[in-house]
Amino acid sequence: MQFDGRSSKIMIAESDRTILEMLQIRLDVAGYHPIGVRNGAAALELLQHTRPDAMIVELNLPDVDGYEVLKAMSAYSNRVPPPALIMGRGLSMDAIKRAISLGARDCLAKPFSGADALDRVSRLLKMKPQAVKTVLV
Amino acid sequence: MTATARDKPLEASLAGALDVIAWEIELAGARCIQLDTLIGAMLNTLSPENQAQALEGLHTVDLLSQHLTGISAFARELGEGVSPELEARVDEALSKVSLGALADRLTTALGGVERGLNDGADCGDLDLF
Repeated sequence: MQFDGRSSKIMIAESDRTILEMLQIRLDVAGYHPIGVRNGAAALELLQHTRPDAMIVELNLPDVDGYEVLKAMSAYSNRVPPPALIMGRGLSMDAIKRAISLGARDCLAKPFSGADALDRVSRLLKMKPQAVKTVLV
Repeated sequence: MTATARDKPLEASLAGALDVIAWEIELAGARCIQLDTLIGAMLNTLSPENQAQALEGLHTVDLLSQHLTGISAFARELGEGVSPELEARVDEALSKVSLGALADRLTTALGGVERGLNDGADCGDLDLF
């Protein structure tokens, strides 16, 4: 049987309430278990007691940014973090490279649609966990 | 008296405002998909006559969802093509939004201060009165 990642726990860290709610509904209807947080501090707190199967992280989160969330996830997971998708507006190549070095596996530039996000999550869950080789401090 | 951030008129670009509208429509579309799923799950529990009615409702919700997805894509594309210098009179437009939760989401998405209207029991998106 092909593993399609349904029923997987997915953390979404997104500051915009509309985008967060839209993503939560779309993922929930598709059979996933989304857990939404609106800032980096809440994401870090959640990661202390929850291990999501995948993460969707806005890079420009208020307070603690998306890089810090990726870094923390790598640390908590002993450098084999769950696959992460980063989101952001006008993502520069440097920003993408930095996020990848911290464990991100894919990126989604805003604006995107709910359908785009679902496609990417489905793809993300098919990826095998991969050790983070370089963690920038 | 010093004006607080809440009193300051909210300024936003037209492109930003269109983007915010696109997301709101996208959210409405997602809620339609959720409703569609709920109706679908209830179908087997209904009598054959009621099933036919529910199927009709399911079809309408599906059309509505596609309609909203189309308008959302249109608004998003319009926003992408608009000059960043063009401004939108968002303050006046926001004053016309009678749903507390929606007004609060729009305000914060446009860079304004959150008023916590999402937290109360009477803040819902359904304007019943």
